[in-house]
Amino acid sequence: MDLVKYLTFSMILFLLGIWGIFLNRKNILIMLMSIELMLLAVNLNFLVFSVYLDDMMGQLFALFVLTVAAAESAIGLAILVITFRIRGTIAVEFINCMKG
Amino acid sequence: MFEHDFLALFPEIFLINATIILLIYGVVFSTSKKYDYPPLVRNVGWLGLLSVLITILLVAVGSPLAVANLVYNNLIIDNFTYFCQIFLLLSTASTMVMCLDYFKQESLNAFESIVLILLSTCSMLFMISAYDLIAMYLAIELQSLCFYVIAASKRDSEFSTEAGLKYFILGAFSSGILLFGCSMIYGFTGVTNFEELAKIFTGYEITLFGAQSSGIFMGILFIAVGFLFKITAVPFHMWAPDVYEGSPTIVTAFFSIAPKISILANMLRVFIYSFYDPTWQQLFFFCSIASMILGALAAMAQNKVKRLLAYSSIGHVGYLLIGFSCGTIEGIQSLLIGIFIYVLMTVNVFAIVLALRQNRFKYIADLGALAKTNPILAITLSITMFSYAGIPPLAGFCSKFYLFFAALGCGAYLLALIGVVTSVISCFYYIRFVKIMYFDTPKTWVLYKPMDREKSLLLAITVFFITFFFLYPSPLFLVTHQMALCLCL
Repeated sequence: MDLVKYLTFSMILFLLGIWGIFLNRKNILIMLMSIELMLLAVNLNFLVFSVYLDDMMGQLFALFVLTVAAAESAIGLAILVITFRIRGTIAVEFINCMKG
Repeated sequence: MFEHDFLALFPEIFLINATIILLIYGVVFSTSKKYDYPPLVRNVGWLGLLSVLITILLVAVGSPLAVANLVYNNLIIDNFTYFCQIFLLLSTASTMVMCLDYFKQESLNAFESIVLILLSTCSMLFMISAYDLIAMYLAIELQSLCFYVIAASKRDSEFSTEAGLKYFILGAFSSGILLFGCSMIYGFTGVTNFEELAKIFTGYEITLFGAQSSGIFMGILFIAVGFLFKITAVPFHMWAPDVYEGSPTIVTAFFSIAPKISILANMLRVFIYSFYDPTWQQLFFFCSIASMILGALAAMAQNKVKRLLAYSSIGHVGYLLIGFSCGTIEGIQSLLIGIFIYVLMTVNVFAIVLALRQNRFKYIADLGALAKTNPILAITLSITMFSYAGIPPLAGFCSKFYLFFAALGCGAYLLALIGVVTSVISCFYYIRFVKIMYFDTPKTWVLYKPMDREKSLLLAITVFFITFFFLYPSPLFLVTHQMALCLCL
């Protein structure tokens, strides 16, 4: 098993997630998706390491992370909904009530 | 083996159960037509305060269990966690005392925020005693999930929802980074337990371009960045002022008091106990300098109270990181003393900010001539501000003194020098409060309603500690020394 290829793949996914958060100037939903992408890339990382090390702990960790990611996106969507209800938009550029 | 675990975890179990019972109680009765939809905030607040106090008692009783590894080495209880947990619960209790009157004044009828505060307190208890990367991640995540919701808890306010959204995105981002660090550490060592990690890392030189340790270096770097995000150290602070300003004041108070204790405790456990190494020291060194400078300079331009307090807390995080980047036992001890005094002062300031709610105390200029309308409160606020600035006989001076002394003791002269310079600069905006209260004549005179009794008791206790700390500091020294010994031995 070639660890480097798998790790490169998951690292690319992780970096895509980070870029999605920083370069995205339009939509908050895309930010939520990028956060999910980051967590899933980390999950892949855990699984690869778990198979590589022949150790169960990584798979256990991955299961926990999946659960947490689900809860996190649920809360994120809930906050998004209340923001949309008040502002009528979820564009990133309008999230600037507070400046200083 | 499990009965001992349950015995040792009894405070946490009790607090979780109490929280769930309070939630059910609130949901059932606040929606019942028979009782005419009663507003339950004050009621749930008192019950929550009571359960926190009972949890303090339960934690305090457990002292004979000096050191214990629980639940298959996932959690640990020792002197460090014992005192940290008691201190955390006390600070949560003081936040809840502050919020009793707040909801009535704001006519904000949301008992859920009290339930969420209790739930995040539970997770912070677990965070302090976490002894495994999995337990640590789950505790941090539970805490952050509660925080996103309470930041956005004022659902009809644009500011609060925006604060919640910002906090959510940057918090989730930082958790992702922390988790990536965890995965790297797991992959390159094969263990997740702190004790085993500590055994692996003794005498193991971690360098970026080492033969096999670059993965470990990256893991430690990512974990450190995740933690620095959470405690708002400078290159990663950008969410803090916005979130602190936008969320309701009571939530701001809670954010700037409780998580600082738990996250710093967890960081100490991770970095001093497990990954003890000079490589990450440079990172904290840099962050400490940057936070001190930014905290001093950026706060000068602010005219909103909450934003100013956010920047001041960033500056104080910088001072606390001095103790962290020393890495010596004196550094840890002074860090713990520093947290204790910082929390005391912050409780005091936020109690005053909440006490002056009547006309929406938002800008610093609203304090004008407080010395004439409310002299005792003005004296209290000026004592706290002098203490924040580090004027000698007060507690804030002691904390800064020990931190700088620890920095000098381990040869980090630059840290001590910048610390002294920035604390002189920060005197400007702390003492501006005093100047506005005593010497400014405002255009419109503002009269504030008298505060409630709970808050005045809180103010009295904290001011007493701040003023007379220097007379008898030895108990705190003893306790923090024991805590530091727990981590270092």
